[in-house]
Amino acid sequence: MTSARQTLASPSGAVPLRPGLLEVEPDGTGHLLGSRCPSCGACFFPQRHVCSRCLTEELETAPLSQRGTVYTCTVIHQAAPGFEVPYALGYVDLPEGVRVLGQIVGVEPEAVRIGMEVELSLEPFGEDDQGRELIGYRFHPAPEGQP
Amino acid sequence: MSDVYVIGVGMTPFGKHPERNATDLGADAALAAIHDAGIEPRQIEAAYCGHVFQGMAMGQRVLAHIGLAGIPLTNVENVCSSGAVAIREASLAIRAGEHGVVLAFGTEHLTSRFRGALTPDTDDIEAAVGLTMPGIYALRARRYFEDYGVSREQLALVPVKNKRNAALNPFAQFQEPVTVEQVLESRPIAEPLNLLDCSPVTDGAAAAILAGAAAARRLGKHGAIRLAASTLRTGTVDPEPTPMTFEPLTEATAQDAYERAGIAPGDVSLAEVHDCFSIAEALRVEGLGLFPVGEYLTAVERGEASIGGRLPVNPSGGLLGKGHPLGATGVAQVVELVRQLRGEAGERQVEGAKVGLAHCRGGKAAGVEGAACTVQVLVR
Repeated sequence: MTSARQTLASPSGAVPLRPGLLEVEPDGTGHLLGSRCPSCGACFFPQRHVCSRCLTEELETAPLSQRGTVYTCTVIHQAAPGFEVPYALGYVDLPEGVRVLGQIVGVEPEAVRIGMEVELSLEPFGEDDQGRELIGYRFHPAPEGQP
Repeated sequence: MSDVYVIGVGMTPFGKHPERNATDLGADAALAAIHDAGIEPRQIEAAYCGHVFQGMAMGQRVLAHIGLAGIPLTNVENVCSSGAVAIREASLAIRAGEHGVVLAFGTEHLTSRFRGALTPDTDDIEAAVGLTMPGIYALRARRYFEDYGVSREQLALVPVKNKRNAALNPFAQFQEPVTVEQVLESRPIAEPLNLLDCSPVTDGAAAAILAGAAAARRLGKHGAIRLAASTLRTGTVDPEPTPMTFEPLTEATAQDAYERAGIAPGDVSLAEVHDCFSIAEALRVEGLGLFPVGEYLTAVERGEASIGGRLPVNPSGGLLGKGHPLGATGVAQVVELVRQLRGEAGERQVEGAKVGLAHCRGGKAAGVEGAACTVQVLVR
């Protein structure tokens, strides 16, 4: 288990793991993208066309915070092809009021706990069928004392 | 609107059938239901077929085998609720007055289409980062343990109960009971869930013949089991995260059904619920209002959910014991309830059963509580 974060080889030529998932800066850092409702303030991830609370259609794209708290977690031992097992997965609550599922790395999978503070980083996530590098995300244990 | 009755049911044995396919399994189940109803195939006016992974024209392939080609048929894909939705659509066609006698069936040959863990559709971001269906329920189980202070051992009592029931059901995939130790020692799939906490990969089919009140009288089906409600909802997108240890989707779908059937949860004699994973059974029955929230596993420990208990849950063996051929599952639940309500369930008979409830819930998409949920109420 490595604790070092993987870095994107060529952020300029890479594409998000799924359309509209995230925005990446030239230095390889970036954010997940949600939708914020300008009328009621609700925030959604993944991005939506319409606010489910007040049905506003003019949602704003909202960069999401990187630091959050593990709501629940598991260790996956049987996965779809292309995933090396075991790996930890967790739902992470972000301050915007969204819950994001992601792998939690940089720690033994068995050591991930409910309530743990984690931090998101954008990382390579394989290639698409045209050979382009895919940009995904993973969570790492957050450095202590830096909320 | 006409009342709807279930006048015939049938199913194939559930299990691994490498020498069969979804077409001939579906034909077997449909013919069994037709024979059980004691009608001629040509008396069926329309058909609905539930399946998930069986490709185009699934239902038409079955009709071609049983002398029914030519009638209106609709294929239904609604994840693990597909079969239940086939029954719902058949009942709506009858209530609308369009048809008098309708065949609803579900069929799935999963062993030839899938191996290992199911995942949400690969378009979905959660599948893209590594979520599997067992993973979803593992995540919910871990939080349920945390919130309600129940133990891994208590959770194992669900597959133990359901496989014990399955051993009394000749149509079930599992014919041997298991112990708590066997559940705990089976290989991990998604912690804390082990192999025996997960429904198996299953081939099978099930069918039901539904009739309106006039058609049932015309066919001499007095005293047939009545389908008092068949409700469907989809999961909502919540503007803030909600507890994953309770199912508002199941609760809302059940409320619709209780209202439609004119019953309360306390009237239910037995329930077949969507126990795709051990923890799912607790989440279902608590969402249905059949057991207090957070207390189901303790109730199982006390025998309340066993055959002979206060409210037997999954006397057929459920998905964990009987098997889970996705599109057939919702129909097979109705087959079980009809047999129970007729008093034809043999060794697993729930004495005095008057009101049966079936619940299906399937699928997952990022940010949505669940994809499709159905509740059916059958009354003797």
